[in-house]
Amino acid sequence: MKYDFAVIGAGPAGYVAAKKAASAGLKVVMVEKKKLGGVCLNEGCVPSKTLLQAAKTYHHAKHGSIFGVEAGSLSFDFGKAHAHKNSVMDRMRDGIAGLMKKHKVEVIEGEATLSKGSSFTVNGETHEADNILLCTGSSPTIPPIPGIEADHIVDSTGILNIDTLPKNLVIVGGGVIGCEFACVYASVGVPVTVLEAMPEICPNLDSEIAAILRKELEKKGVTFQLGAKVESFEGKSVRFTLDGESKNMDADLVLVATGRRPNVSGLGLEEIGLDFDPRGGVKVDNRGATNLPGLWAAGDVTGQAWLAHAASRMAEVVVHNINGQKDQMRHDTMPAVVYTSPEVAVVGLTKEEAIDRGFKVKTGKIPMAINARYIAENPGEEGMCKVVLDADTNRLIGVHMVGGACSEMIFGATAMLETELREEEIAEIVFPHPTTSEIMKDVFMAVR
Amino acid sequence: MPRQGQSVESCILTEWKVQPGDTVAEGDVLAVIETDKASFDLESTASGTVLELFWEADDDVPVLANVIAIGAEGENIDDLRPATESASATALPATSSTPESSAVQSTVAADQSPASAPVDLSTTSHVPSSGVSPRARKKAMNLGVDAETLVGTGPGGRVIERDVDAFLAGTPRLSAAARVRAKEQGLEAPVRGSGIAGMALASDMRQPGAIEGAEVEPVKGIRKLIAERMMQSLNGTAQLTLHSSFDVTNCQKYRKKRLADGESKVSINDLIAQAILAALQNHPEMNAHFLGDRLAVFHEVNLGIAVDSPRGLMVPVVQEASKMSLEMLSSEIKKKAIACREGTIQPDDLSGGTFTLTNLGMLGVENFTPVLNVPEIAILGVGGISLKPKKNEEGEVSFVDQISLSLTIDHQAIDGAPAARFIQTLVNHLENHPGENPQKIEGEE
Repeated sequence: MKYDFAVIGAGPAGYVAAKKAASAGLKVVMVEKKKLGGVCLNEGCVPSKTLLQAAKTYHHAKHGSIFGVEAGSLSFDFGKAHAHKNSVMDRMRDGIAGLMKKHKVEVIEGEATLSKGSSFTVNGETHEADNILLCTGSSPTIPPIPGIEADHIVDSTGILNIDTLPKNLVIVGGGVIGCEFACVYASVGVPVTVLEAMPEICPNLDSEIAAILRKELEKKGVTFQLGAKVESFEGKSVRFTLDGESKNMDADLVLVATGRRPNVSGLGLEEIGLDFDPRGGVKVDNRGATNLPGLWAAGDVTGQAWLAHAASRMAEVVVHNINGQKDQMRHDTMPAVVYTSPEVAVVGLTKEEAIDRGFKVKTGKIPMAINARYIAENPGEEGMCKVVLDADTNRLIGVHMVGGACSEMIFGATAMLETELREEEIAEIVFPHPTTSEIMKDVFMAVR
Repeated sequence: MPRQGQSVESCILTEWKVQPGDTVAEGDVLAVIETDKASFDLESTASGTVLELFWEADDDVPVLANVIAIGAEGENIDDLRPATESASATALPATSSTPESSAVQSTVAADQSPASAPVDLSTTSHVPSSGVSPRARKKAMNLGVDAETLVGTGPGGRVIERDVDAFLAGTPRLSAAARVRAKEQGLEAPVRGSGIAGMALASDMRQPGAIEGAEVEPVKGIRKLIAERMMQSLNGTAQLTLHSSFDVTNCQKYRKKRLADGESKVSINDLIAQAILAALQNHPEMNAHFLGDRLAVFHEVNLGIAVDSPRGLMVPVVQEASKMSLEMLSSEIKKKAIACREGTIQPDDLSGGTFTLTNLGMLGVENFTPVLNVPEIAILGVGGISLKPKKNEEGEVSFVDQISLSLTIDHQAIDGAPAARFIQTLVNHLENHPGENPQKIEGEE
């Protein structure tokens, strides 16, 4: 068949691009080898957030006494939480299928192989398309540690299929994924140990924000071993070195969360001469164009951002460019969230990144605890809001928050960054009272 | 269009109050018109049916031109149409047209200046500071634009509504930070920025006159000078280039012999410079300046040598080269070239040339047409060495090293044949007497 636009991969880049292109009148086909929705819906954002909400609900019930809520005999049925998770996923997948049908996007189940000249093969049939979007996502990386193939050692995809609580959980890797699962299990009473090789968790975050997150997770019962290097797994034992000393601990369940890698193999990409970046992702420009004419890429397969919303935006940019509308990615204004309790939400540059880029920097930070709504709703929880400004223009270039449900207000900061608002303009914006969002106004009082 | 005062040459018809087909009575308001001082109602001077509107709203209408035809249905109104009617009249209901189209149409109207207009508007438009029309001022104020700073396209350069519209249509949306850059650093925004929906961001702001995808620098210093001199040369002279070449064999032999004899090393370029001096002795008319109404033929040769310096093309002059031995000439050329490259050349050494030598042979160029170093009337370009077939007296063909020569002359001052004879002498010297002092060459004519 001949199509105007082919999408390889049905994740948050793929289905957004397919829908958008079809709405613009293109004849679109979308190929998916597993399930609609990609990593986000099936192995990432959606299932993990459902379990996090389950854990949060349990945690609130258990710690409600400060509000006068005493919840007698409390129990947690992990199986039920998983059932809810599965029903949410089913519903979302049906939603995507319906959306594709509504927009007359043809969906083919199967593995695509690309060949030269804008054609690809699925299930033995060859198709052609004027433009092809490659958005095959990413998979968890598995480091070459001896003994890692044991059954009780899982990655972030595997752990989502285990609906019983382990006696204890050891997490290798204190990044975003590691922290989110640590939060789930610790909140429902499972002892959790995180082994992180770096001196602080979530090394991409502002270090003060990361430290607050770590302390809050410690309060929930997570033990962090920073600077720990895992050497081997022997039976149920995890061997690691810490400060030059060899240590041992038993683990009922081990989660390996050491990062993700782009899904680039088995697609015939080397054969058609596609360029890759040094980290193994498909190399794209700020429009999503690869080095091959008519071939575009978006999302995790490019090795950029590793975020569902970034993937969707990249896909949107690609479709705009295919339709002759000028558009480009602006990764510097891409928000990112860690969905732990408390949440971390950031957008823009950290102070260190800004200085590296040659900005003259001003910063301001205030504890969330100065905000009435915050202390009312999050008693005893530490939080912080930090802003980074370009001292030359007074423009806001970075916002870093930890505390409560701050993910819900980071879009406001994103809008400020996208429109390059300055301290002066932000000062005129009215924030509703009493909301936690007022922190975004008050933080400017602390800017030096 | 009634005359609204002695100095008013035209009025803006800002709004039609009637449409074709309407019935009007004498004294009814037909349209609103404005001058740079006030706004008026245009009242009907006749009763009847509106047959045609000759102008669109916002048109700049010369005084005394017909604006509307009122009469009985079916009446012939061809004679009433103003000369520019085709450009701007409409039989359709007058609707407010888009800023672009009204600007275009009105410009056409102004340029074609109706026969009935007392002045030619095209000569008076685009003159700044002739005021702002009330309508334009109101619109500008509403939109936060300073109307006084706009370029007016109304009569006498008056700022009218379309100027405000055109300004807004061509204005990129600036982020708050970009606006600060624009104001404080005098930077300019591209038409489309890299921000949200094309908003110009602080990082998009660039020096005025910047071009996307290019580094733009002002033309100044030596580049500006070269540019001026080159254009002066190509605009002010009648350049003709003659191409020839010479067999390098004897030059090479001569250079080898010098080395064998323990004499100083000279380059082919030095030998060519010396040959020029020799040839000029026999063709002094080539050693001249063309000054329009006078031709100055010089006694001595001040030989200019084109040098590629880090600052650009420079032409130092070996003064009185014609008095020099080959060794001295060679050493002078070298000294001057080094001084240019090091930036220590004296201004006096960059002027007074009477003939110029330029050599691109070492860069692999085979042939080129040199540009005259005015007011000199000749410049010799030297290309690289290439193999060429040559037939000897017995008719045998062999390959020899040849160097191409390109002589550009100012045909205003000298003709092709004498220039060709100069090249003949030059080639003869290089092929048969390389390195010999000019004095030894016999005259050929």
